[in-house]
Amino acid sequence: MNVTHLLQSRLLLVTGKGGTGKTTLSAALARLLADRGKRVCIVEIDSYRPALTAPLGVVPGYHPVSAGPRLDACNIVWRDALMEWLADTVPAERVVRALLTNKVVQPFLEATPGLRETVVLSKVLKLVDAYDVVVVDMPASGHTISLLGVPRVAVSLMRTGPIRERALAILDRLHRPDTALVIVALPEEMVVNEAVELWERLQKEVPGLRAPLVALNRAAPPSLSADETALLARLAAATPDTATPAGELVLAGRWEAGLEASTADALARLEAAFGAPPVSFARLGALGGFEGGPGRIVQQLAAALARQELAERSA
Amino acid sequence: MSLAPLLQSKSLIICVGSGGVGKTTTAAALALRAAVLGRKALVLTIDPARRLANSLGLKRFGNDETRIDLSHLPDAKGELWAMMLDQQKTFDDLISRLSPDESRRQGILNNKVYRATADNISGSQDYMATEKLYDVVLSRRYDLVVLDTPPVKNALDFLEAPGRLARFLDQRVMKWFLEPYDESRVFGRLLMGTSAVVFRLLGFVFGKEFLTDLSEYFHQFRDLYDGFRERHEAVLKLFHSPATAFLVVGAPNEPSLEVAGFFLDELHQRGMGGAGVVVNQRHRVSGAPLDPKVLLGEAAAGAAADLPPPTAARLLARLGAAHRRLRELSAAESILVDGLRPHLRPGQSVWSVPRFEADVHDLAALDRIGAFLCAPPERVIGRG
Repeated sequence: MNVTHLLQSRLLLVTGKGGTGKTTLSAALARLLADRGKRVCIVEIDSYRPALTAPLGVVPGYHPVSAGPRLDACNIVWRDALMEWLADTVPAERVVRALLTNKVVQPFLEATPGLRETVVLSKVLKLVDAYDVVVVDMPASGHTISLLGVPRVAVSLMRTGPIRERALAILDRLHRPDTALVIVALPEEMVVNEAVELWERLQKEVPGLRAPLVALNRAAPPSLSADETALLARLAAATPDTATPAGELVLAGRWEAGLEASTADALARLEAAFGAPPVSFARLGALGGFEGGPGRIVQQLAAALARQELAERSA
Repeated sequence: MSLAPLLQSKSLIICVGSGGVGKTTTAAALALRAAVLGRKALVLTIDPARRLANSLGLKRFGNDETRIDLSHLPDAKGELWAMMLDQQKTFDDLISRLSPDESRRQGILNNKVYRATADNISGSQDYMATEKLYDVVLSRRYDLVVLDTPPVKNALDFLEAPGRLARFLDQRVMKWFLEPYDESRVFGRLLMGTSAVVFRLLGFVFGKEFLTDLSEYFHQFRDLYDGFRERHEAVLKLFHSPATAFLVVGAPNEPSLEVAGFFLDELHQRGMGGAGVVVNQRHRVSGAPLDPKVLLGEAAAGAAADLPPPTAARLLARLGAAHRRLRELSAAESILVDGLRPHLRPGQSVWSVPRFEADVHDLAALDRIGAFLCAPPERVIGRG
């Protein structure tokens, strides 16, 4: 999986540890594809306070809202997804209403294991039919495993019925070559660990899933020469007190050097674990770009994706 | 107020916040600090990525309470224990405890639906965390339990977890399934009256076989409800107890601190005691712009005598740029932290922990974090 392949996919699932920049990368992918003329829907799942609001400037509802030319955004709330799925599955509307207003059925549906995940993924499948591309800003690692693992469990538990059929359709969709998984990581040891573990567990829960594209956000590319690094170490040894102005300057330099080292380390470990080098995105601005407005970082990231694609093509 | 009095007086501290902000590390650092202060402290984590194991330099631990060796911290007067939640085992243990007899226990543990779902359904993680919490807090084996909560998509999932299983075991659902329970008659009764259409429909939706499995699943649980309910009420009581404190953990970025503010408001509305916010990974500088040539020019020239001539000048330029960047970052973070002000109530504070050069994964690093947490809190500008 590389960026070129990713940008040709129809269903993009973006996951990773919390705080790695999944939402921003999802928004950048969606914007880029919409700018290229595709009709795109960006999706988040069961959000109480939609995270896509910041990068897109709109509040996604259950029904897609426009976030720009050819770009819609939605938040799949499972109760609405359930209602829609029942309406699609059960022929008579009267019966659906009876089902949903029944006091016993309500908690039953809430308690039925796996139903939530199945109807949510079922809605994602419907969106894939309705749009050229669907980008899903997935929940963090643990919940992604639950979500994607459920269809297989449902198939094993249910011998007949429409849920089983839907779960089979979801599994088929997950295994198609135009479905792409993206795992987002940061140059931090524990974030890298979690990315590696996430992929190990996903392979167990959803056998046959295609290898993901790994995106390393906030990367600090090497800038110090070996001589400069050596000199920095000498200066650090000579000014051990970081509370002095000179010490603070040296600390700032060591901090940068540390980021560069952890970036190199993360790139090497991710490449070893996934068998392919990750795509890295340089950190943007003081707060990862937030000070320029979240919309701006989405643009910058979209441009970086396009550059990466170009680099892959010319390679 | 420093967090030290809290560590001395509370019996439960619950760390909440969005993912990736250092909740696990904060929880472990607090428990360690409490142990140093002389308490018998347990840190309980739910994290599937086994981050705490990394933090404590342990390779792995199961659902068992493991004592962490503090012998190389000579100041430590108490004990530090750690536990990593094993969801499936927690649920299995719970069933064993609540089951009236062995055959019922086996019936549940071998049930197809139970086996397929206990470990892998979203929300069960949150629930199992509260379940284990009940266990360890009420056992009174520890002076203090520090709970690291699972990363949640919906910030409220965790606080609402105790209610969720109660709803799952709602009496109405159970009655509906169980009162007529008799393997041959279960469908018969359900096919009568107002329930008939609903049940036929459910059979159509889920498949008749699954519905039968599910009926059996609910049936197996029939005597366990009261036990579940009691435990839930106890956990909810624990959340509201004056011996419990919630600590919101965040990182200095906009989304994370937004969630932190939201958590403070929610805790307040629910009448749960919030101590304040720990902001991890802060970048700190003295504030003034610094000129590398003036401050380090001579030292660099001296130290670079054996290096190619432009090395010193280049490095100094880089240090200047790095420091400008750090100042910008520090200023931007302060503005974000000040944004917490409207969410803080009297008595609540903000504690900042600086970002360290390396990831935290040993006791010495955890101890350093603990020292920051027990320092006086940050003054949030404009706070009344």
